[in-house]
Amino acid sequence: MTRRTLLLALLAVIATAGAAVAEVCLSPWVKRLAGPEKYLYVYAVDADAKDNDFLAVVDVNLASPTYGRVVNTVDLGSAGNEPHHMGFTDDRTKIWAGTLLSKRLFILDTATDPAKPRIVKTIEDIGAQTGLHGPHTYYALPGRMLITFLSSADGNPPGGLAEFTNDGQLIRVFKNPANAPYAYDVAVKPELNRMITSSFTPLRNYMKPLAQWDMKDGGNTMLVWDFKERKVVQTLVTDPVPLEVRWSLKPGAAYGWTNSALGDSIWFFARTPAGSFTAKKAADLGKGCLPADLRQSPDDRYLYVSCFMRSEIQAWDVSRPDRPRLHDTLVPGVSPNMMHVTMDGKRMYITNSLLSTMDYSGNFWVRLAHIGPDGRLKMDPFFDVDFTKFPTGPARAHDMLLN
Amino acid sequence: MRGGRRLAILTLVGAVVLTAAPRAARAHDAPERAGAAALPGSPSPSLAVIGPAPPFTLVDPTGRSVSLADYAGRVVLLSFVYTTCRSACPLVTQRMAVLQRRLREAGLFGSRVGFVSITVDPDRDGAATLARYAKAFGADPRGWTFLRDRPDALRPVLAAWDEWTRPLPGGEIDHPARLYLIDGAGRIREIYSLALFDERQALLDIRALLGRPGP
Repeated sequence: MTRRTLLLALLAVIATAGAAVAEVCLSPWVKRLAGPEKYLYVYAVDADAKDNDFLAVVDVNLASPTYGRVVNTVDLGSAGNEPHHMGFTDDRTKIWAGTLLSKRLFILDTATDPAKPRIVKTIEDIGAQTGLHGPHTYYALPGRMLITFLSSADGNPPGGLAEFTNDGQLIRVFKNPANAPYAYDVAVKPELNRMITSSFTPLRNYMKPLAQWDMKDGGNTMLVWDFKERKVVQTLVTDPVPLEVRWSLKPGAAYGWTNSALGDSIWFFARTPAGSFTAKKAADLGKGCLPADLRQSPDDRYLYVSCFMRSEIQAWDVSRPDRPRLHDTLVPGVSPNMMHVTMDGKRMYITNSLLSTMDYSGNFWVRLAHIGPDGRLKMDPFFDVDFTKFPTGPARAHDMLLN
Repeated sequence: MRGGRRLAILTLVGAVVLTAAPRAARAHDAPERAGAAALPGSPSPSLAVIGPAPPFTLVDPTGRSVSLADYAGRVVLLSFVYTTCRSACPLVTQRMAVLQRRLREAGLFGSRVGFVSITVDPDRDGAATLARYAKAFGADPRGWTFLRDRPDALRPVLAAWDEWTRPLPGGEIDHPARLYLIDGAGRIREIYSLALFDERQALLDIRALLGRPGP
């Protein structure tokens, strides 16, 4: 190899390095898709909890004759699990998928045949391994999975974090501190060596019908961690129940946002010149929104908020990151919840189940919104996957991943 | 090309890589400029035992057999690359070269720390090709070994390290983009991605494993 070829190779890497990310809101360590998505994986809860839960595979390949249809389901082999969130491993060959009411966690191979994922490992009692319950966010680290848990194994606070190897061996556990015991989401900004976790409510509360929830049994804190040291360095206070942690996608940018579910607000967090972080309320989403999910456009220009109770999606312009401005709204149907934005920022897949204890509609679906160059949202009138007509009856569609 | 000049050029390219992205971000983020500079790395990393490092015995470009066990008592940085790679591999090898220089300056390279780079492309990366690649990046053979083997001998090693390969159009190879930091007892203590590898933090991690925390 000559100097010239070596330099050309390095310059080619430099030119493409910035594009080497997966779709937004996944861990920065997850490998990106080589082209447009072909399959949408939808994690589904059997609506009456009598039949087995499953993972649905929706064909989203525009060139396919079965586009927009469920082409496969992966039976999880048991009922009443409350499947919730899932995440790819760093090499995008496996999905880790957990549950909020049972103790099971499933690892699925999605590489051998992306159209037909298969369960390669089931951890039957995640609580016995970790001392924690309710795995929520599956965040890929190189060769490992970092997972947040909503509760301790007995269903009470504190929640915490656990790290596993990609094939399911426990590495270590971190429980939340006593002064901030509630847990929910996690996101890392590697170049800053900072990780932030947020807070929801534990099993003892979310297992009950929503009307019986103790609205004071939840967190209002975000923890700032030294990522390399896995040590909490700061506690930020927000409106009640800050959920998603979304760092700015710009390299080196030391700020981000969260959605306060019970404060109906967006909070902005940022590092100060002194190195510590501050958090402040940045946008009022309107009373009764209950912002259940928060997503970003790949260019960091817009935030998307799903108002679960008001049945709308809001697009907020964050050109001025600490002063979001309402840019557009969309009504995709009743109770929109999870949103999944493609890596080109042009499509947003939407589901409408939050938790079986919180859902107020029996009409479950997966729908698609197109995002224009002007950042405005428009429903696709032809893409409407009905999740009420499975052989086992209706199923609650929650988290999604693309492949 | 003389080694010093070559490394200087590579270091310059590396510096551009390391600083270009933050500068681009700052241009759009005037309100947050004060907060945009990167924090220094952590001198006290928490490096859990991730698991045992799968053993291997492969051959270097001179035909000498090299085993992971040969490195007992030393910290090893292990990468999986291939020489015709046009994505992350050349960048990470260049960053390893920068790290090699820093470890040499600290008197740790070779005696306390070894680098191993294993090709995932044994068909095209013959002994001579690997040797040229190592030389082009200024790899010091006293502490940095490039390894290969026949495909049937290499395959189980790659499988043990979960280093699957998949051919891509244009001759590229898709493979997990990871580097491993292994302690003197043969245990994996950190895993880096090629794309986000920062040799400054890796130096701090190595120092921590050696019981010599750096600044």
